[in-house]
Amino acid sequence: MATTVLDAAPSLASLYAKAALTSRGRGGDLPDTHLARHGVTVDRDHLAAYARVCRLPLTDVLPATYPHMLTFPLQMALMTDRAFPLATVGLVHVRNRIEVLRGVRADEALDLEVWAERFAAHRSGATVDLCASATVAGQEVWRSRSTYLSRGAKAPDGAPEADVDVAVGALERTAATWRVPDDAGRRYAKVSGDVNPIHLSGLTAKALGFKRAIAHGMWVKARVLGALAGRLPEALEVDVAFRKPLFLPSTVALATAEVGGGWDVAVRNAGSGTEHMVGTVRPR
Amino acid sequence: MADTSTPATRTAAIVGGNRIPFARSNTAYAQASNQDMLTATLDGLVARFGLQGEQVGEVVAGAVLKHARDFNLTRESVLGSTLAASTPAYDIQQACGTGLEAAILVANKIALGQIESGIAGGVDTTSDAPLAVGDDLRRVLISLNSAKTLGDRLKALSRIRPGQLVPDMPRNAEPRTGLAMGDHAAITAKEWEIGREEQDELAVRSHQNMAAAYDRGFFDDLVTPYLGLTRDNNLRPDSSVEKLAKLKPVFGKGEGATMTAANSTPLTDGASAVLLASDEWAAAKGLPVLAHLVDAQTAAVDYVHGGEGLLMAPAYAVPVMLARNGLTLQDFDFYEIHEAFASTVLSTMKAWEDPAFCKEKLGLDAPLGSIDRSKLNVNGSSLAAGHPFAATGGRIVASLAKMLHEAGPGKRGLISVCAAGGQGVVAILES
Repeated sequence: MATTVLDAAPSLASLYAKAALTSRGRGGDLPDTHLARHGVTVDRDHLAAYARVCRLPLTDVLPATYPHMLTFPLQMALMTDRAFPLATVGLVHVRNRIEVLRGVRADEALDLEVWAERFAAHRSGATVDLCASATVAGQEVWRSRSTYLSRGAKAPDGAPEADVDVAVGALERTAATWRVPDDAGRRYAKVSGDVNPIHLSGLTAKALGFKRAIAHGMWVKARVLGALAGRLPEALEVDVAFRKPLFLPSTVALATAEVGGGWDVAVRNAGSGTEHMVGTVRPR
Repeated sequence: MADTSTPATRTAAIVGGNRIPFARSNTAYAQASNQDMLTATLDGLVARFGLQGEQVGEVVAGAVLKHARDFNLTRESVLGSTLAASTPAYDIQQACGTGLEAAILVANKIALGQIESGIAGGVDTTSDAPLAVGDDLRRVLISLNSAKTLGDRLKALSRIRPGQLVPDMPRNAEPRTGLAMGDHAAITAKEWEIGREEQDELAVRSHQNMAAAYDRGFFDDLVTPYLGLTRDNNLRPDSSVEKLAKLKPVFGKGEGATMTAANSTPLTDGASAVLLASDEWAAAKGLPVLAHLVDAQTAAVDYVHGGEGLLMAPAYAVPVMLARNGLTLQDFDFYEIHEAFASTVLSTMKAWEDPAFCKEKLGLDAPLGSIDRSKLNVNGSSLAAGHPFAATGGRIVASLAKMLHEAGPGKRGLISVCAAGGQGVVAILES
């Protein structure tokens, strides 16, 4: 295993450009590379902008999804490197699991590390997990696992089966209805730096095979946590499966049910019932 | 003494309080909304007294500067807090008296046995302030919204003029007089011949008292850090009369102007909350009783046509409350007179000492007399902490309750808060 320590967060815009230019000729197994950044501090203005766009309360404890803002650029750098076997363009985020081992304060310096693992076979291609870990003074406080699907790709021989589903209860009661506006993707892109063209406009999304722009999955996940503010344990695990794309604009319904000291949640189209995201929140 | 014909009631206990450090406008809390600050303050209070997931009788709070979308600010904050979602809440607004009035309302319901516990609070932001579109533009937008046809919409849009696009900034000014609150206070300061030096001395003492209180840990169980701030960032422990003397007056005009940025409170962001309860509720939870809210009074003056100073209403409210309780102005161990401006505190005290004012305006046979200045705002007040309008009352109630508790049983404190609109809210706490 080789760990490369970066001094600053890579620019996501240029990584997307690189991804587009280097999508051909990929293959082989996952690289054994770890990328890291040390002593990363949270920019309070950025945290405030993130809280605003995700409708999270502004506090001194980081939202469970916030460290992903810091680790995602590193994961993108890993994925866009030529050594990575799958083309970044066309990767679909299908599952995201975050574990908050303890509440992380906004004034704590974080050591971040990301890597890829679990190249797995999926009925319509292959999946890979992009993992991340945040430690404070040597103690792990947060970790995440983002599972991406590459349609048509082939996992190496002997690869395990993909694990992309999250089981939830029936969830029949709607807790809230949200109108997700046309510019939701652009607004979140501005804060997160995730300028994947599929989120930005109808035209750019069409170029990549989507009929309209789609909402960022991690934004939907964060908004669900915002809706549960005050009702969450400090140490928790939030595991969500992203199902059908949430096309913009849309009206969606959030369903919640209290389960085992935590929650089962689902975000569905308010009219058709198409499931966009289901997930579980559990204390840990 | 209380009228014996009224049914016997209990007095509400003050269990404790919590606030976030206050921040000067557009500093540490520039990105925080009223709801963010109030929620954080409630969560801090809940954590301090172990009330996670519990229902309290009622949460009453308010903000003076409030966005239209925040019509249910307190209830929304409760829903986002760690209190049980089944906790009822409502908003109130009485300008700078909001926080103290909220405590009085909660205390009264406890006294009547309608609730056993409650939280009184207040919050204000002058950074994330509600900008309104001007009235002309607002009317255009309303007709645009109700237009049925494209023609109607275009007609409505054609009425927009560039000048209408300048938003209405909230101002700390009286709608009926057009004067800033500071300019009103300057008129009163001149009438009562309040000098520059005594105002500066009062301001310096406020900073020094509050800095000393922080240093000896007085605020450790009253304040929870927020957004990186651990102390009020308006606090200047090294403040001195010499430094303050160099400042130019900002309120009042010309020769004899005395009010500066240092002896007036700055625009401030912050929030506070106080937990009140019946003695039984507190005992059942194993929580302390710091003091009781014994009585309260409001008053208002005609500062528009009646010639009274905008911030002089507490001078009228206090003697009514004293008479009802059979007390004199000297029967207190602590005085908490809100320092909207140093000159307001000094004018109020001078009025109580003045035989003519006490006779003609208050209808008293003798002046209320002077108060022992060593008992005044002993842990600092708004000149040092800053003054997020609706949050000041909660700051004072919690601090005074703690001071009375530390002083031992049977101690008495007076709170006096002046408010925009020529109003005053005052209260008595006893340990």
